[in-house]
This record gives sequence, C-alpha cells and structure tokens, in this order.
Amino acid sequence: MNTSTIESPPHSKNAPLASALSLVVPGAGQLYLARRNRGLAILATTPFLIYLINWALTNFRMESIAVWLWLGLALFWAWNVFDAYRLARGQTTVDWLGLILPLIVIYLISWQVTDINLDRLVKRFSDVQVVFKALMYPDLFTQVDGSWQPSENFGDIIGKIVDKPAPGWLVQLGLAQKDAKVPTPVLGKMAETIAIGLMATLLAILLAVPLSFFAAHNIMSRVPGGTVIYYAMRAFLNVVRSIDTMIWGIIIVVWIGLGSFAGTMALTIHSIAALGKLYSEEVEHIDAGPIEAITATGANLFQVIRYAVIPQIIPPFLAYTLLRWDINMRMATVVGFVSGGGIGYFVVETIYKGAFEQYAAAFWAVVIIIILVDYVSAKWRERILAGEVKVTAAAPKPFYTSLRALTWLVIGLAVFVLCWQLSEIDPRKLFEPAPTFVKNIRDFVTIDLSPDVFDTVLKQTLITIFQALLATTIGGLLAVPFSFLAARNLMGANPLAQVIYYFVRGALSVLRSIEVLLYVLIFVIWVGIGPFAGMLALAITSFALIGKLFSEAIENIDPGPSEAIAATGATGLQVIMYAILPQIIPPFVSYLIYQWDINIRMATIVGLAGGGGVGFLLKTYFDLLQYHKAGTVVAMIVVVVTVMDFASAKIRERMV
Amino acid sequence: MLKVENLNKVYPNGTVALKDVSFEVADGEFLAVIGLSGSGKSTLMRCINRLIEPTSGRIFWDGTELTALSADEMRKVRRQIGMVFQQFNLVKRSSVMINVLSGRLGYVSPYQSLFNYFSSADHARALKNLERLGLREKAYVRADSLSGGQQQRVGIARALMQEPKLILADEPVASLDPVLSHSILKYLEQMNKEDGITVLCSLHFLDLVHRYSTRAIGLKEGKLVFQGLPQEIDDAQFKTIFGQEAERVTIL
Ligand SMILES: Nc1ncnc2c1ncn2[C@@H]1O[C@H](COP(=O)(O)OP(=O)(O)OP(=O)(O)O)[C@@H](O)[C@H]1O
Ligand SMILES: [Mg+2]
Repeated sequence: MNTSTIESPPHSKNAPLASALSLVVPGAGQLYLARRNRGLAILATTPFLIYLINWALTNFRMESIAVWLWLGLALFWAWNVFDAYRLARGQTTVDWLGLILPLIVIYLISWQVTDINLDRLVKRFSDVQVVFKALMYPDLFTQVDGSWQPSENFGDIIGKIVDKPAPGWLVQLGLAQKDAKVPTPVLGKMAETIAIGLMATLLAILLAVPLSFFAAHNIMSRVPGGTVIYYAMRAFLNVVRSIDTMIWGIIIVVWIGLGSFAGTMALTIHSIAALGKLYSEEVEHIDAGPIEAITATGANLFQVIRYAVIPQIIPPFLAYTLLRWDINMRMATVVGFVSGGGIGYFVVETIYKGAFEQYAAAFWAVVIIIILVDYVSAKWRERILAGEVKVTAAAPKPFYTSLRALTWLVIGLAVFVLCWQLSEIDPRKLFEPAPTFVKNIRDFVTIDLSPDVFDTVLKQTLITIFQALLATTIGGLLAVPFSFLAARNLMGANPLAQVIYYFVRGALSVLRSIEVLLYVLIFVIWVGIGPFAGMLALAITSFALIGKLFSEAIENIDPGPSEAIAATGATGLQVIMYAILPQIIPPFVSYLIYQWDINIRMATIVGLAGGGGVGFLLKTYFDLLQYHKAGTVVAMIVVVVTVMDFASAKIRERMV
Repeated sequence: MLKVENLNKVYPNGTVALKDVSFEVADGEFLAVIGLSGSGKSTLMRCINRLIEPTSGRIFWDGTELTALSADEMRKVRRQIGMVFQQFNLVKRSSVMINVLSGRLGYVSPYQSLFNYFSSADHARALKNLERLGLREKAYVRADSLSGGQQQRVGIARALMQEPKLILADEPVASLDPVLSHSILKYLEQMNKEDGITVLCSLHFLDLVHRYSTRAIGLKEGKLVFQGLPQEIDDAQFKTIFGQEAERVTIL
C-alpha cells in the first residue's frame, strides 16, 4: 500500500482511466500505472477486508458497528480511486490513509471479537481484589504457640521434614533400627518444577545435538541424498516447534498419563525442536578454515571433528542451551496445568479451591526462582560468549586434578540423580501406553475436515490471531513510556530518576518472570472466562518483555548523531526528531513484530486456562476424547504459527 | 623432490582452475608461486596435498605418486607436508598451545588425542617451536586474542610440529601489513635455510619474490606461463603474468 515511493514516469494523460479501473477493481489502476507492489497490496486487501467483515457480522453480534465497518471499507475503496488518480497525474498521495483505514477496520473487529468490556475491569475489580490482597499475605508461616513456623503450605511448595521408615542403607550402616522412623527431607513442588526444567533441558541436548547435524545444510550437502534429509529434518523441527509445549503436554498425557514425567517429556520434545534448529544454524556457521588446516596436518576424521569442529560449536551450543534452560524453567512452572506435576498443578488446584494465600506463596516462589534462573543463565551466557582470555605462563592443570572441579562433579551427579527421581522419569512408560493409544493416535492424525468442524476451528483461530494483535498493540503502547523510564542512560541524572529506574526495571522483571497462563488465571477471576481474559494476560506479558527490549534499544542509542545534529544549531526537539527517533524506531518496530510472533504462539494456549481462543477448543476436544477434531486444531495451529513465523522473519529481515 | 605432471583441475561448477600444469621443485628450494587473484594458486597448493582432488595429472613426492595413494596413505604423507594459510585457519577459541599441538595429530594415537592428551615430548616440542617464533609467553592464551602477525606465527609453529619436509604456504602474508610480511617470510626463509625444508609459497608482490625466493613459477588463468629465476621476471614477463594494464608496485 505504501511500500513503493519511487517515482514512476508520469502517466498524466490516463488519470481518468486509472481511477475508473481502481473504482471497478481496487488496485487495478495502480497496476495499470506499473506500481506493482502497491496495486497487488490493494488488490489483496480489499477482498480480505470484505471477507473479514462478513465473517465477523455472521459469527458475532456486532450489528451496532456494522455501519462503521462497511464505512471503513468504502473509505478505503474511495482512497484507492483517489490514489490512482493522483498517481496518474504524478502528484503525491496520502500513503498512510491506505494503511490506517484497513487497520481501523481490523482493530474494530478485534475489539468486538475478543469480547473486550473495559467496564468489567472496573465493575468486577472487587472479585479480584481478594487475589491481590492475598499476594500481599502469602501463606508461608503460621503462628504455633506464639512462635512462627513454616506453614503446611510452605512445606508443600518448598519442602519439609517428615518422619519416614528408615531406608535400607541407613539400617545397613547401623545408623538406624529396622522399621524405625527417621526424619527425612521431602522436597516440595518447587523442587519438582526445577527438576522438570533441568531434566528436560538435559534430555533435549542429547537428542538435539545429533539431529542438528542432519539439519545443517553445509554438512548434508556433502552426503549423497543429504539435501532431502536436510529439508525433511528442517520441516520436522519446524512443525514440532510450532506446537507449544503446553499442547505437547496435552498430547503426551494421552500417551503416558498425568504426572511429572509427562511434563518433562512435553518440555523435552519442544526443546529438542527449538534447540535442534538453533544448533543447526550454528553448525552452518562453522568456519571451514580450521577444518582444512587440521586435515592438512594428516589428522583423521575423528581428530578433525575433535580439534576443528567441536571447539567452534561448544560455546554457542552452551549459550543456546542456557537460554533454553531459562525458557524451560518458565514452562515447567505451568506445564502442570495440563500434564500434572510441578508447581503448575498446585497453582491450578489452589485457584479452583479459592485458596488465594496458598496461591500467592506459590506465585512468589515462582517469581524468585525464575528471576534467579534468568540472572544466572544470562551471566553464564555472557561469560561463555565473551570467553575470558587468561594470560598465564604455565599450562593450566587438567580439570580432574583440581579439587574444586571434582567437588562440582560430585554435586552435579547428586543433583542429576535427585532430579531424575523428582521428575519421575520412567522410560518404560513410553512403551506401555494405554490400550486405546494406537486408536487415539490414528484418530488424531486423520484430521476432521468436515465444514462444521473446520468453521468452528477457523473461527477460534481468527479470535486467537486477533487476541495476539490487540495484546501486542496494547502491550507495545504501554511499553513506550515505561521503556524511557527504564533506560539507564536517561535515568542516571539524579537520585530520584535512579530510584524510578530501578523500580520500573524491577517491576518489569517481576512481571516478566510470570508465565502468561498464571496471568490468565487471575484475569479469569477478574473479567470472566473468555478471550478478553486471555488478551489481557498476553498484553501484560507483552508489556513486560517489550518494555525491557525497548529500554535496551534506548540504552544502545549512539550519542554521536545527537552531538552532530546539536552542533548544527538544532533545537532539542529537532535533535530528537533527527538523531534519536531514527535510531530507535527500527528496533522498536522489529521488537513489536517479534512480540507479535511470540503472542501468536502464546495465544494458542491461553485457552487452556480459560483465556478463550483455539486453546480452549483444543482442551475441550481432548476432554471429550474427540481426537479427530483435536487433530484439526493442532494442524491449524501448525499452519498459522508457521506462516506467521515465516512472515515475521521476512519482515524483520527486510527492516534490518 | 616434488614433481607435478600435467595437472588439471575442473571444479564441479565447470570452472577450469588448472590447465596442464607441470613443474619440478628440487629439495631445499624456496619456490614462489605468483599470479593474479583467481589464477589458481590456492587450487594448485591444495592439489599437492590433495585437500582438493585433481581432475587429472600426476604428482610425485620423493618418488611416491601422491595422486595414486589411498585416502589413508595420503593422510600419512600429509604429516610431512606442512601448510600455512592466508587466513591462518587457527581454531580461534582454543588456546595457542592446543593449536600448535594439533600439528602433531597425524603422529599421535587417535584415542589419546580425543581426550586432549599429548605426550610430554610433544608439549616440549610445541614450546620449543613457539620459542623459536617468539611466542613462548603466549602459549596459554586463546588464539583469537593474538594479532594477525602473531596468529600467522602460530600457524607456522603448527606446521613445524609436523616436522615437515615441505611447507605449502598459501599467501601467508596477504592479510598482513608490509612490516609483518617481512617478519613472517623471514621465518619461512629460516626454516628453508636452517632446516632444509622445501617451501612453496604463493605471493602477491614481486619485491617479496625477489627478496625471498630461489625460483618462481607464474600462473595465469590456470596455465603455467613462467618458470625461472626471480631476477628473470622483467617487464615483459611481468605483463604476461599479470596482464597488460598491471603496474609494478613496490612495498617497503
Ligand atoms: N570450490 C570451488 N568451486 C568452484 N570454483 C572454484 C572453487 N575454488 C576456486 N574456484 C575458482 O577457481 C579459480 C582459481 O581459484 P584459486 O582460489 O585457486 O585462485 P587463487 O590464485 O588462489 O586466487 P586468490 O589470489 O584470490 O586466492 C577461480 O576462478 C575460482 O573462482
Ligand atoms: Mg588463493
């Protein structure tokens, strides 16, 4: 619509003809004037809008705004005629109208479709007040006989000491009597959650590393038939990745039943795909020089891999793994919603019971753990990628001779064993599915495409897309002012500004540490079940992430241009216009598109907790054991997410 | 002695990189390979140790026909042929020491080397070679923390670890400034004179050819167009190798 700004040769004589063409078929006039992109965009937008308006009017009650929708379309049509006329006469036209009018129509529809009722936020605030109040008084300690002690709830979340029959080895060692009760620590839901996240990451590495080589073009193009494997592997990884961890959770439960193991498996499957893709991109970026050099010394294939390939890929692999670990820890806090196990299951239970103080304790435990993990993972990544350069005269000792390294090794092994138990990993279960499993799978892959089901799925999918659109918009708009407050370079001026800076940064971190599904639970209490709750939850998480990214973009502003513009005698406003804005608008837009991509994925699952959209439909079909229809939903999600992913990547590529 | 007979190389995409190239290099020579960018210098070097498989032609080294060897036999011969690269080709994230030691890989037991184990004799040899190139104190820093000239010296140290009889140096100084160029070439000259290692070195500047080489060959579009003493490259010869428009430039 407003993409091409290059002046084309004037066609001044044909102005009436161009406008007539555009009047009959929008975009035709522009095409006739050889403005291909503009013409095609208008040509595609018009039927799309007509379809959308029609769809909205038949599926939802929005007679009250029907007039406005059609008016928007009519104005767009008129603009297109006007545009053709002006273009033909070689005059400038109003590009932005062509973008704004369809957007107005789309936003009007989104507003209605996602069932936005701002008054509910006010009227029903009393309903959610209890939750907010509870957040101030989490159930962690109780007063017993005048002294404070960890409460039952604290024990459930963090851990407690219970008397249990002595384990065999204690008896063997003569430290306990047979059948005697000894105090044994029992770890709580939070430890289980950490174990799930950790084990899923470890298992995912094991599988993602070999797969990534099959998905690396530079390797597969050397093997006969490799290109085919390469494309198949890439497609496979993309499909698996486009199905959210939570949805994998639902599917896995059908296979191995509820429990921590199911959660671990769901996280593992999604991580394999995500890591496999990132790893393979790293493999593709390997520098061929060292490989050539090591080969030239007469080394054999394994030595070449050991000395030229592995040293190159280990640091980026580690960095990506740490990033994934961070994501997995977050997902582990909610995967229990659908698969059982971990703090997620606990949270759902407390909410449904209305035990908000208990919920609050879990909430804060999650916040603390996630912020910690986030910090540790970021620090490690920084260290790995920077790679310290140590100048030492002597050779470093091999690691196995250092006591510290040995201690860490032992601790690591102990943690591994503990996590293995906590996450209830039991590979045998994978081979003993329920008797109906094969039939269920068959149902699932033979998707139901009857018009009825398809229309229902399409309707919910569109709602999901609109939710993501609105959430990105609202989150982005909110983030702009706050990102300035969270930019260190702007807020370092005086103590008050610094306090604001730390406060906003901290608040963004806390908001960011909570998974969207946990927000959905709160908003469902507040505004009721439905797409509105899901949209609000997505808006909050978007706000938190975009706020952080925007503020970092502001911190990265190069002061050079401001100086240069100021040196020309420009005013402050001019400096902002010409030196600051051009530097921050491209990253802002790029982050918005990135967030929109994330939100599309997230919007597919908000329904699992009552946030409306396609996730709700999926859960219903699974609960009713209608696996054909569930298959339709998953297929639709794969298509939508893949298309959006591709589109957003292409747009961002063009922007950079 | 190295002998190249009717060597041809056609890349899979149809590019003819070498056309019927034949020449001989006696032991102890410092042979300069000159030619424009794209004339086939790198291809020639890589055909000699068969990092690239020649399309046809034969290569003899010390009486062995390299072009007839199996992959495993060729691997063993490569141990005697050190290679130095324009882009240094160090493993950047590994330490200098590991990079130098990796020159020994063809000799050590593959299983031990998988665990980064090298004998103390190899360690001593590596330190001695680093000492020789003036890099003893950089042994345990990461390779990418070194400057370009230092990295190239590490590259030479790695080649020396092979105890080579022949060094193939593919534009070893093309990424370096003139002062460093001389320092690197002096090291190669030292290896050539003191250790009697035969050196094949592709170079861009005629001055460097005159200063360091004992003999030179010139390539143009994959064909051998000159063979003789460096001093014999007069203006006419120069124009055949580098084209009519070329101008002689002098560095330092
Ligand atoms: N892998 C390859 N596939 C196809 N063509 C190649 C390949 N490598 C080199 N060539 C071509 O072969 C010809 C000779 O290349 P070569 O790298 O040997 O030249 P060079 O003399 O070393 O040049 P430079 O000074 O730029 O390094 C060039 O035309 C080049 O484009
Ligand atoms: Mg070359």
